[in-house]
Amino acid sequence: MNKVIVGNHAVSWGVKLARTEVISAYPITPQTQIVEELSDMCARGALNARFIKVESEHSAMAACIGASAAGVRTFTATSSQGLALMHELLHWAGLGRHPIVMANVNRAMGPGWNIWTDQNDSLSQRDTGWIQLYCETNQEVLDTTIQAFKLAEAVNIPVMIILDAFFLSHTSEPVDIPDQVTVDRFLAQRETSIKLDVADPHAFNALVRPDAYMEMRKDQQDWMRRAKTVYAEIETEWKALFGREYGKIEPYRTDDAELILVTSGTVTSTTRHVVDQMRERGTRVGLVKIKMFRPFPTDDIRRALSGAIKVAVLDRNISPGRSGIFAEEIRSALYNIPMDDRPKIFGYIVGLGGRDVTPAVIEDIVEQTQIATQPTREDLWVGVKP
Amino acid sequence: MSQTMIKHEIPRKEFLSPGHLACPGCGGSIAMRTVLKGLGEDTMVVLPACCWSIIAGPWPQSSLKVPLYHTAFETGGAVASGIKAALEVRGNHETTVMAWAGDGGTFDIGLQALSGAAERNEDIIYCCYDNEAYMNTGVQRSSSTPAGAWTTTTPSDHPESHPKKDILSIIAAHRVPYAATASVAYPQDLLQKVRRAKSIRGTKFIHILSPCPPGWKHPDESTVDLARQAVQSRLFPLVEVENGQTWRFTMDHEGYPIAPYIKAQGRFRQLSNQQIEDIQQQINERWTVWENRVKYGT
Amino acid sequence: MKQTTRYGPPRVASSTTSTVANQTGSWKYIRPFYQDKIAPCNAACPVGIDIEAYIALIREGRWQGARELLLQENPLPAITGRVCDHPCEQACNRSQFDAAVSIHAVERVIGDMILQTPPARANSTSTHTIAVVGSGPAGLACAYHLVKLGHDVIVIEAAAEPGGMLRLGIPEFRLPRRILDQQIEWLEALGVCFRTNTELGTDIAWEDLSKFDAVFLATGAHSGRMIGIDEEDGPTFMSGLDFLKAVNVGQRPSIGREILVIGGGNTAIDCARTVLRLGADPLVVYRRTRNEMPAIEQEIREAESEGVRFQFLSAPVSVRHGESGTRGLNCIRMELGPVDASGRRRPVPVTGSEFTIASDTIIKAIGETSQLDYLPVALEREGTSLIVGGLGETNIHTVFAGGDMTEDTRSVAFALGAGKRGAIGIDRLLRPGRRQPDELAVEQLKFADGNVSMARWMSSDPVARAAPVNRVVSFDELNVNHFRHLARNEDRTTMMEENQGSFQEVNPGLTSEDAITEAGRCFNCGVCNGCELCLILCPDIAISRGTGEERFIIDMAHCKGCGICVEECPRGAMAMTREGL
Repeated sequence: MNKVIVGNHAVSWGVKLARTEVISAYPITPQTQIVEELSDMCARGALNARFIKVESEHSAMAACIGASAAGVRTFTATSSQGLALMHELLHWAGLGRHPIVMANVNRAMGPGWNIWTDQNDSLSQRDTGWIQLYCETNQEVLDTTIQAFKLAEAVNIPVMIILDAFFLSHTSEPVDIPDQVTVDRFLAQRETSIKLDVADPHAFNALVRPDAYMEMRKDQQDWMRRAKTVYAEIETEWKALFGREYGKIEPYRTDDAELILVTSGTVTSTTRHVVDQMRERGTRVGLVKIKMFRPFPTDDIRRALSGAIKVAVLDRNISPGRSGIFAEEIRSALYNIPMDDRPKIFGYIVGLGGRDVTPAVIEDIVEQTQIATQPTREDLWVGVKP
Repeated sequence: MSQTMIKHEIPRKEFLSPGHLACPGCGGSIAMRTVLKGLGEDTMVVLPACCWSIIAGPWPQSSLKVPLYHTAFETGGAVASGIKAALEVRGNHETTVMAWAGDGGTFDIGLQALSGAAERNEDIIYCCYDNEAYMNTGVQRSSSTPAGAWTTTTPSDHPESHPKKDILSIIAAHRVPYAATASVAYPQDLLQKVRRAKSIRGTKFIHILSPCPPGWKHPDESTVDLARQAVQSRLFPLVEVENGQTWRFTMDHEGYPIAPYIKAQGRFRQLSNQQIEDIQQQINERWTVWENRVKYGT
Repeated sequence: MKQTTRYGPPRVASSTTSTVANQTGSWKYIRPFYQDKIAPCNAACPVGIDIEAYIALIREGRWQGARELLLQENPLPAITGRVCDHPCEQACNRSQFDAAVSIHAVERVIGDMILQTPPARANSTSTHTIAVVGSGPAGLACAYHLVKLGHDVIVIEAAAEPGGMLRLGIPEFRLPRRILDQQIEWLEALGVCFRTNTELGTDIAWEDLSKFDAVFLATGAHSGRMIGIDEEDGPTFMSGLDFLKAVNVGQRPSIGREILVIGGGNTAIDCARTVLRLGADPLVVYRRTRNEMPAIEQEIREAESEGVRFQFLSAPVSVRHGESGTRGLNCIRMELGPVDASGRRRPVPVTGSEFTIASDTIIKAIGETSQLDYLPVALEREGTSLIVGGLGETNIHTVFAGGDMTEDTRSVAFALGAGKRGAIGIDRLLRPGRRQPDELAVEQLKFADGNVSMARWMSSDPVARAAPVNRVVSFDELNVNHFRHLARNEDRTTMMEENQGSFQEVNPGLTSEDAITEAGRCFNCGVCNGCELCLILCPDIAISRGTGEERFIIDMAHCKGCGICVEECPRGAMAMTREGL
């Protein structure tokens, strides 16, 4: 079934098709449509879930944790400040190994108030033990939402699906909505033995002393690493059923590229267009889209980038006092490959607080990168007014 | 009628194991023990950070014989809501979900989540065992700490200056179907309230005064006695309120002087007789408020 | 469809064991233990009844057990339930809470029940025969206990019927003859033999008693004391005891209209109430105030309600001869001076306060003394009382004595207690195998400083059976917060008008349901009654129910020594000790 829907509703559809059982959320722009639609689905009986309309994002995540601990499939959605408010409980969900799925609509952090997109909200939660998947299109959003539950429940790690404010959340695109029967074949009801159960009572999350804490952390790390393999399996399965796949990263026209642009989110689509145009002009430029940020697909990145001479990373985020976060991650991933294979990394800061990243901006970045022999600094700010 | 023996009223079955890590004479342990007897085995406990995070035992132990979820300090009301929703969505409408929080997790950091749950009328029981300060972190004041009390953040030359927050009225104002106070000195009364709470759908709140020997600085053996004196002196009346409107005393309150209660506790050592007299005066005035509530529902 | 690889469970902090393995009991430096003590009623009971224990059984409706326990110490509960001045109730800790437990009323209910069925004849297991001289309460008690201990007993009584003071000195309206007769029959059925109309010194010689293995003397005190004024042996004077005896054997002495009764004890009150029933008008003249009267408070109240008048703080000085031949008594006002040896304030005459009371008959009820003339001079005495030891022993090896003829307090209860002591003394003498005399001090048989316990004497190991701490629990040692105020089941006395001229029993007693309720008021001072409060309030779940003799077991591996159990024990039956002791 094809429908033209906004990105937020693509999330809602994914949540519905996954037969999510408990939803708990708090309104925040630009996420609100997701939970509005879900409220409607629950009210109409289209989705047999309990929707807890909590008094804060903090409680939204807490309620999801509770529900997940009781063994059911749970979902929430938020943005920006809301995500930041959840921070403590993102750790709790992560190390508590609760397979919660959350949609985060990327929105810049205040102050001043800004409701437009950038990635600083989700990237601030990098170390909370969540899988992070950045989406490019509404179709990808929907597909990823359903896949996310399967992934989360397979590895007992929560998954954050990330989509850009307005560029995806409020933009209508035609989306193929999978049929429920096929989705049900892909994703069964959640079953787990690790849950609150009066017939088999256990206490969860008690005081863990130094002699045991590291082992818990190591286990989390091991499963994070395995999630990359599991995700690939899930994608294979998904492709067999629905004919679509996205990859942890997506290399595009990188085979003989001297310069590879690295993007995430909707900037990817614009960049893909620019790459096509420049290729027509004979420029040996390629693109790598990063979908999976955590766990970081280091091997895939190495394979995709190691032949290039230069890499330009477009970061819609900034780690103050350092540089763009994707650029940092990539520098780090490539450091231990042979010196000769290492490309020069140019880290560009673009589109913060929802500023447009137009084809002209990207072309400009390509030209600057081609001209330069070395990046003058690790954070190259694009289009900043004096 | 002859005096009914308490043993016939308190269930024998235990849901708390010995060897738990409470301090000697812990009121909060008596409270948990009694409450679980009232709830029985079909119960799940949510435990935000509090003394009980320690009492319940370190991993891989649990002193409870029912499922227990340790959670972050401010999340008791919300996590309990989530668990209940999960049970209900899978067709389980019977299992009792109880949040068990200290006064810090209830009066202070957890008040928002509790208010949210109460306003949504989540079908949970929220018990606050109140030891009137942050005891687990070494006795810092909370908004439950009574005026005049020493804590490590209200030193004895500048003791707590604000009166204890009236949490019961705050919860009652949510018009929850059932809210009550209880004291570890009156196990039958507590048990009756727990059973009552278990039988009602919606949010139930039970506020249990639980003296703390190291925090209140009283001898270990005085825990029950002080919990009783607080009631007898009308400092902590035993009441229940239905739908935020119908108030009822569940005990005769003798109105004994407050001075022995105050003087039995080291945390009040700095108070002069005049200050104790002032506290007595406040209790007397407050008692009129309680009586009017019971009489007129206001 | 192929499912995605499922791996093992995550490593989360999920519990796999309880906290039981934690030896949290090692934190303590003091530890609780159970320690029964003595209830004040038990110690105060002159009979030496384990009151607390039988009351506890009644609360649980265990009548049979209560009967056995009571009968072990008291042969005449139907009688003591009626006429004992119940010092137990004065000692009762509950009197400091609301009102004393109405022990006598409960006892009476059991006593009446006991009389419903004759007892099985006691097994004679000894070759010894003992003579008990006198069948008043002391003699009856001694005979009873000796029979139950397996000895043969003959009770020698001077009067035509057994009972002594019970029959002659207590009016019918307080102790119906029917009850006394049933009680005597009951004792006969048990195996007590009576030889009535046999007066020592007249019908039987002292030497004749030598054929018995032991003798218990309990002949009482029958000679009225003198006031010490002229003409008091004249015709208008009567001894109170003689007056009561006369009425009790069915005579109706002509005493006139206005009667003075001198004295403040039970005999005085009994006389006054009897006078009232004969249609005359009694006035009790007492030299102290109502507060100092030794008579049972309830009897005084009943007398007042029946219309008996009192003249307090007055003492007779001389007989008054009226002009028209009428007589009366010249009296003097008294006032209370310093406290005397009896613990009461001594009455002192007020100079110049003489006054006169007209009367037809003056009944002297100021006490009696014993007649010991028929006894051998070798028997040591002091004044008119025999000197006896802790178990009734006199200076003659096989002769024991008790009751009003000794220095003991004069009451039915004290007499019963003396009889029991004598029985134990004789049993110890005749059957040393039961226990070597030195081995067990009499003190260890006693409820604290009260009377001896037959249960302890009978026990194979009386010392172990004795409470670990043989001392009375005071009110302050109780935690009365665990009790609710409950009204005492008062005796139901009949209305005053109905008592006029009637010798019907005034007090119909309690129903058995009321008795259970009343027993429920008992605190069980100092004695664990298994209420389980210790178990319920333990923060550490360290107390559990025992299976056998031990009611409770304290799990020392987990008891942290907080002491809440000891503090909260409603009856002071626990204590703390230093760890390691």
